[in-house]
Amino acid sequence: MAFNPLEESGIPVEEQFRDWSELNVEPYDKATVDPYTRTRVILMNGAEVESILFSHQFARQTDDLALKQLLAMGRRIDQQQQKAVNGLNPGDQTPLETTIGYEQVAVDLTAWLARHEPDPQLKLALDFALLEDFDHLYRYANLYDLLDGGRAEELTQGLTEIMPGRPTALEHRHPYDDVRPHFETHAVDPLSRMHVMTIVAAEQQTMNFYMNHGSDWIEPLARGLYAEIAIIEEQHVTHYESLLDPLDSWLANWVFHKYNEVYLYSSMMGQESDRRIKALWELHCNMEIGQLQVACDAMRRLEGREPAELLPPALPDTPVTFEPNKEYVREILAGTVDLRTDGPDYVSVGDLPDDHRYFALQRRLNSNGVPSEEVVDQERQARGHDYRDEREGAHPIGDLRQPA
Amino acid sequence: MPTLTPTAATGATAKVGPMVYVDPARMQPADAFAELLADTSMNGPFIADLLSSMLSHERAGAHLYRSVQGRTHNPVLERQYEHFGEETREHVGILEGLIAQLGGDAQYVSPAARATEKAGTALVESTFLLGGSLDLVDRELVMVEAVFLAEAKDQANWECLARLAAALPESDARAAFESAAEQVASQEDEHFLWARETRSRLIRAQAQSPLVVDATSPIEEQIALVESLIEQH
Repeated sequence: MAFNPLEESGIPVEEQFRDWSELNVEPYDKATVDPYTRTRVILMNGAEVESILFSHQFARQTDDLALKQLLAMGRRIDQQQQKAVNGLNPGDQTPLETTIGYEQVAVDLTAWLARHEPDPQLKLALDFALLEDFDHLYRYANLYDLLDGGRAEELTQGLTEIMPGRPTALEHRHPYDDVRPHFETHAVDPLSRMHVMTIVAAEQQTMNFYMNHGSDWIEPLARGLYAEIAIIEEQHVTHYESLLDPLDSWLANWVFHKYNEVYLYSSMMGQESDRRIKALWELHCNMEIGQLQVACDAMRRLEGREPAELLPPALPDTPVTFEPNKEYVREILAGTVDLRTDGPDYVSVGDLPDDHRYFALQRRLNSNGVPSEEVVDQERQARGHDYRDEREGAHPIGDLRQPA
Repeated sequence: MPTLTPTAATGATAKVGPMVYVDPARMQPADAFAELLADTSMNGPFIADLLSSMLSHERAGAHLYRSVQGRTHNPVLERQYEHFGEETREHVGILEGLIAQLGGDAQYVSPAARATEKAGTALVESTFLLGGSLDLVDRELVMVEAVFLAEAKDQANWECLARLAAALPESDARAAFESAAEQVASQEDEHFLWARETRSRLIRAQAQSPLVVDATSPIEEQIALVESLIEQH
């Protein structure tokens, strides 16, 4: 795992094109897929989308032909990679089933990153949003049972508990209160930078997905729930991206993006149980190494900076790993469910003054029904109880336990 | 070996700012460097931040020279950029040594150093991000101008350092300041004067040249003109 990508040549970018048959991959079987294979697919799709969007933003800052062509080339390859990755999602997996997969990613990725995050403030940022994505999983799981008679635990296979987190209705904060102080790029642990870049990509993808698929349903409750949670994901992207240091140049950010993708693909490769998909992770890892070399060369040539000055001598020893985090999530839930934000700071809701803008926005947004509450109310009316998959005992927060 | 980019691996530290968070393990407290130049009338923490900023500028200069050296089409400029780049890297080392002698931390990145780095990044980006708007001659001028601007501030930094030294009482600290300034003074003067003169020469050469080239001219003609500009005068 801990190799130095700068010492590898990877696959030259010009040799990375694939034909349509290679991109039109065979999807996994949703009935038999390992949930963490699904989450790996979702994460890497998010990583590729972020790489593409970043490249587009960078390309808009320059009219240098050679640089724009390099970016366009890399972006086209990223697009091919994204097709191959996203194509692993089967067509018979409904958008809501994919959504449950997205939230399983959010919970277990965020929890794992938080557990391995060396910086206490960045860990706090991860823990804060973790409880919100945890609650989204619960709300979508209730929608899944209500609309489709679906049992979300068949998708998550008990690896991730499904129960209330910080209630979605209470997550709506004033935009000013979503912006956090950022790490300092020189002093930051390289692992922390990669953690932040990874979670930004994952949350951004979730935000985009809900923005676009919220209208896939006829049922107003489903449409409303997606609209409500999509806005929370916007909050999460603002929250996480504000942790990034704006001092880094476009070229440095390009290098950091590619380096992080090498880290992620090599992580996925190391733990993938599906041999066919493991081979795809390996192929893409080698492609990213080739793309990293292009970005490094551009930075070396145009900014006069050697990539080895910026990057650590090797990838982190510990790969990003999808695994259960139930005990950790419960611990964070028990300790911090009442946290809110006040400007850049985290505060307990009880410490917010009555005239805080949080309460004003809550009243404004939640005054005419809240889809995330209605979905659970309707599920209770239909089934006599809400849907949850609690595997490790009673909910740690008394008020959030199943009503008697 | 001087540090051209402070990172966690090199021991980089920083201070918390209004929107800047630093891991406590790498954080300099607000009263860091209070003991710097404690026996003088100097504001130690300010001097520490100032030296960090000057160091950031030297580091940016080293990167700028490396960048333009590799992209110029004029062999005279290429040799000069390489030479001045080497000297600039030495200046990074000299400034790091001064900071260490004073009891500071050469891996400390002050708030002012961050702002300096941002300016330096913008300056080097100005030499390539709009490359599609420029012919090769204009690009050479833009690169020389970037060097000129960088060296103007650099020379002013060292001149300021020498004046600060003169304000210190006779001490090891004063001797350290003076030694550092003496080591680089003539080179910094040379860098600045060369950049200023070269910019003027390029402008005058173009202004008085019968050749008219633009971005649509054949590349060979543009390169030939760039190669000839410095030689002509």
